[in-house]
Amino acid sequence: MLSAIRNTIRATTNSIVRSIYTTTPQATEKFDHKRIPADDEGVQGEKIIDLDSVLKLKQNLFPTLESDNYLFDGVPYKDLPICNIRVTHNNTIFTVTDSAGAVKFTRSCGMEGFKNTKKGTNIAAQTTAISIATKAINKGYKTVRVRVRGLGPGRLSAVKGLQMGGLDIVSVTDNTRVSWNPPRPRKAKRL
Amino acid sequence: MFLTLKLLANRHPSFIARTVFVKNNNVDDACRLVNRILGKEGILEQFRLTRYYEKPFQTRRRVNHEKCKAIYNEDMERKIHFVLRKNRHEPFPGCH
Repeated sequence: MLSAIRNTIRATTNSIVRSIYTTTPQATEKFDHKRIPADDEGVQGEKIIDLDSVLKLKQNLFPTLESDNYLFDGVPYKDLPICNIRVTHNNTIFTVTDSAGAVKFTRSCGMEGFKNTKKGTNIAAQTTAISIATKAINKGYKTVRVRVRGLGPGRLSAVKGLQMGGLDIVSVTDNTRVSWNPPRPRKAKRL
Repeated sequence: MFLTLKLLANRHPSFIARTVFVKNNNVDDACRLVNRILGKEGILEQFRLTRYYEKPFQTRRRVNHEKCKAIYNEDMERKIHFVLRKNRHEPFPGCH
């Protein structure tokens, strides 16, 4: 009965104006929102640094024209040995070099005895950091500047581990390779 | 002079760019500050996006999704401001 009335109305309106759709359009595609991660602000853990308040304090946090000649332990900043940390998803590699960049010794989570997936954990990074810190102190590198490259689980714990091992860290530098017009990256992983 | 030479050789010289000095032996805070700056500048995002190739259809979808999200966020912000506004004749109507 009802449909009959509707049909007659539709027939009349069709001829007069245009067709009226009585059904709502149905989406055929589903968009998986979970595949787009939330905005990454570089914050891990519960402590959040308010950038503006830190910058307002006007401490000498960032390098300036003169900072190359600042003395740390009697050595100018530019002549301090460097501890390079290469962080990847699967491993963390530490390299201690002199100020010119000549490699003195190196250590990785794999060398430390962690195998396979255990290499890529933050615990592995921390233990390796502590071991290379003690080795560095034995060889006379007490005060270092740290340069971190790459993202991974061991990023924070690696630097923390160096400090726990007794090294005196002067500065933390990020050297992650990022390009805004890179060559075509590798194929995405299939989920 | 030294800095100028360094900048001529490389626009982002190491230990000048993306560097934070550690204050009061507080390494954790320095790391967090570096990470925060990287996040704010969109470097982490770019790193994540260029790790694997993003097919054009994925780019389109991502951009559309970002647009929708921005519109929603803007409207929601406006709505929240409207609901939370307090310069009314009676600040909290219905709450006696």
